[in-house]
Amino acid sequence: MNRSPKVAVITMEGTNNELEAFLSFKYSGGNPEIVHLKKLESKIKKIDDFDIIFFPGGFSAGDYVRAGAIMAARIRSKLLRDIEDFVEEGKPVMGTCNGFQVLVELGLLPDTGRNYSIEAALAPNISNRFEARSVYVRIKKKNCLFLSSFENDQIIKVPIAHSEGRFVTRDDDILKNIRDDGLNVLTYVDDHGRETGYPWNPNGSYMNIAGICNRDGNVLGTMPHPERVFFHYTQPDWTRSRYVDGPGSHFFRNAVRYSIEKF
Amino acid sequence: MKSEMARKIILGDSEANLLRVSRDMHLGLSSGEMQRVKNYFKNEGREPTDVELQAIAQAWSEHCSYKSSKIHLKKYIFGIAEDKVLSKGDAGLVPLDDDSAVAFKIESHNHPSAIEPYGGAATGVGGILRDVLSMGAQPIAVTDVLFFGTKRLKGFPDPKFIENGVIAGIRDYGNRVGIPTVSGGIFYSDFFSPNVLVNVGCVGIVNRGKILQSAIKEAGIKLIIAGGKTGRDGIHGVNMASATIERGKEDISTVQLGSPITKEPLIHAILEANERGLIYALKDLGGGGLSSVVAEMLEAGGMGGKIWLDRVPLKEKDMLPWEIWISESQERMLIASREENVEEILGIMDDWDIISNVIGESEKGNRLEIYFNGEKVLDVEVEFLTVPEMYDRKAVIPARKATSEIPKLSRDLTGYLSKMLSDRNVRTKEFAVRQFDHTVRGATVIGPFTGIIGREGPSDSSVIRPYWDKDLGVAITHGSNPFHSQTDPYAGALNAVDEAVRNLASVGAETLGFSDCLNAGDPGNPDVMGEFTEMLRGLGDGASSVHIPFVSGNVSFYNESGKRRIPTFPTILAVGKIEDINKAKTPDFKQEGNPIYLLGFPTTDLGGSLYYRLLRKKGGIVPLSNPKVLLNRASKLLNAIDKNMVASVHDVSDGGMAVTISEMIIGSDIGAEIDISSIGLRPDFVLFSEPQSSWVLEVSKEMEEEFVKFAGEDAIKLGFTSGTQLTVLNGEKRVISMDSGEITKRWKEGYW
Repeated sequence: MNRSPKVAVITMEGTNNELEAFLSFKYSGGNPEIVHLKKLESKIKKIDDFDIIFFPGGFSAGDYVRAGAIMAARIRSKLLRDIEDFVEEGKPVMGTCNGFQVLVELGLLPDTGRNYSIEAALAPNISNRFEARSVYVRIKKKNCLFLSSFENDQIIKVPIAHSEGRFVTRDDDILKNIRDDGLNVLTYVDDHGRETGYPWNPNGSYMNIAGICNRDGNVLGTMPHPERVFFHYTQPDWTRSRYVDGPGSHFFRNAVRYSIEKF
Repeated sequence: MKSEMARKIILGDSEANLLRVSRDMHLGLSSGEMQRVKNYFKNEGREPTDVELQAIAQAWSEHCSYKSSKIHLKKYIFGIAEDKVLSKGDAGLVPLDDDSAVAFKIESHNHPSAIEPYGGAATGVGGILRDVLSMGAQPIAVTDVLFFGTKRLKGFPDPKFIENGVIAGIRDYGNRVGIPTVSGGIFYSDFFSPNVLVNVGCVGIVNRGKILQSAIKEAGIKLIIAGGKTGRDGIHGVNMASATIERGKEDISTVQLGSPITKEPLIHAILEANERGLIYALKDLGGGGLSSVVAEMLEAGGMGGKIWLDRVPLKEKDMLPWEIWISESQERMLIASREENVEEILGIMDDWDIISNVIGESEKGNRLEIYFNGEKVLDVEVEFLTVPEMYDRKAVIPARKATSEIPKLSRDLTGYLSKMLSDRNVRTKEFAVRQFDHTVRGATVIGPFTGIIGREGPSDSSVIRPYWDKDLGVAITHGSNPFHSQTDPYAGALNAVDEAVRNLASVGAETLGFSDCLNAGDPGNPDVMGEFTEMLRGLGDGASSVHIPFVSGNVSFYNESGKRRIPTFPTILAVGKIEDINKAKTPDFKQEGNPIYLLGFPTTDLGGSLYYRLLRKKGGIVPLSNPKVLLNRASKLLNAIDKNMVASVHDVSDGGMAVTISEMIIGSDIGAEIDISSIGLRPDFVLFSEPQSSWVLEVSKEMEEEFVKFAGEDAIKLGFTSGTQLTVLNGEKRVISMDSGEITKRWKEGYW
């Protein structure tokens, strides 16, 4: 495409990371718009008006039931087909934190069975409390379009802030499929790059999973928040290093570049 | 006035009867005040309705009217550095740059949190967000300074229950509204049992052309209520906050219920309406509910008005008019709008699924009239509703301590440092603070903890970069020291100003303004009033010397129960500015081999210090800030930071210089080798005293010569960053030796 890709940052009451997501896309050359779910439900806006979909974090509808469940239920009742079509066209879809929870609740991730059934959940952290801190995450980029500019095995520093981030699967086969297909593209590691579990894995996720990408490489869900480290000086240790690009910027630039090249 | 819904109240003639009415209706009015009410309605030629009495009780409560504090506030802190204030209202504003301004305020939610910790703390966050929103500003940071009791008292909840409730309330509300909780503090002492204090702050930004105010100056302006529905929660909240807490008599219905998921879209909707220029005036519904807000908005502009109470959206259908009028239900804003903009505002609210309705309008004249289902239930002069009698209560000024007891010098200073690092008032508060989202909005340049990931140490101030297209930073911190204040309320307050300015200078920020939350006991007690005026004198002396205004604040009296009361002390929320966030500094040491300097000088006054407390000593002389010295050193530090001479910096605070240096080691895993012999004082005074206006600096070794020339006698060389060990020598003698791992372990105690 020879225009700036249109990005829908989808919100509802309680979504609250839309600003940093919006700006991350804007600063990556995208043309983002914050779209209230209501506008999609009432068809004032349409999913296929957009080139990229982003589900930001927050507490959609308060998350007083399972995180992301109410938002996913609303999407499921009116918009599921549209979103599935969007995914099948190979367009980029990303969700962070609450957005990851929504993607899992919609069956779009990990989708090892290729039928959009719900295979996993993001359960309460094993510490049983909200955790807000930065973590180390190792990248296995595979075919994930959001990760294309990273080096394989690169370790990045990203903030997390959630109380339900423990990735668990319905059964062991699903977990095995995730491993075999390398869908676990983001993994929590310690300060030496080893997988050592809590507290470096802040929620007790199976296989230290921090993020999952679907098999086609166009749907990514992460518990960490790349949109909060678009610049390096929102890292807790930025005063200790020289200026580098914020690691979060890669996710958004890659998606925008991909859309321009592919469509 | 024959409404069955609004009762006529017969006041009678006797003082006993007046007081009985006040008590039965929970009005909290004194006999003198009831007499004034009686005379007013005598002149009107009729008896008051319950709506009228309840409205007066709201407006005349200590909480709403500042009747015991106002004359002292005027005398000591109003009017300082007015040239630096842009606007004052529910929050105060100072200029940030040519285009934008910062709005901020701190206030207490002490009484509700003592009665219902979870709901009280949550709605404290909600209330302060609305105060900033009222100025048309986008909230960018929430802060909270918490004071927990440590003593279990019969008949009161366990302190741990209160602590957990308060932390959970802030977490569940603050995280859900998506504004980062970036700064604050947690203090522990037995004098906060059972009177927990929750001081909550909020900082916002606004385009200077979009600043809102609350005065209605014209007739025909429509009043729109927007946000949460009105219910029976939070009735008589201000009256409850204007009395001491009695064991077993806490009334939970006075505490409001919060709904962050209403607040979050409400913030968006209000800001959108403001962006479109549709709002004439705005105020949040807090203490006293509609009653306070309507009267204050009209009074500020010299208008009268009409209200139709039956148009207020309700949670419960059968609410009585007086309940609707004074309910403090959360998440509500009162928008004043010109008639032609009403439809558009209601449309925006609807887009965000926010309930709103027009409930009244302004009129020429000086009377407020309220109707309920067609009947008039209130008809009073606006000024009578808003201006109570002011009190000049008896005050006994506390005697200042003239001497300090000199403690015996211990041989084991390493042991003392160790105890200090894991003292509840010093060690990491990560178990609480890391439950608060401090990175949401992607603008947190310095958060509560900084340094190597996984071993971060504390920061002095937080820094937010509010605009992605500017390098401008807003620095946020607090000054508060209840221990200094308990020993000497004047010194404690003056030192709180010092701490606030000091913390901002640590990150490289120039101070723009203060907001003060004043915590005290029963103003009817002359000792409390004496401490209160001493505190204000301290705040006034400090702020006027450094020429920084108090732009907003609140007073919380009656923090006492039975014979137990809190010390009288302020929590200052301070906001500063950094031109270029790339120059911001953090406390963690940056590299080995850099020289370490003390900018400042230790003291022999140990009153109120952590060292004294560990030695179980009371009283003593509290070190006293000298604002002239503070100004001079802070400006030297800011200059040194600007000229890239400083690699890291941390202020000297609780526990003194030894704790300061230890905390610089924690976030970096870089040790320090220092020699204190050149200072010429006993090592414990050097290491553990809490002098004001002092910082420890890691100076970039290439810039050392220039730094020395520049800092002159204010800077004392202590040693170098080196290895992973803290070694303190006093000449030949090693007085402290502690490994970085051990320091970190001690400080992180209770977190992992």
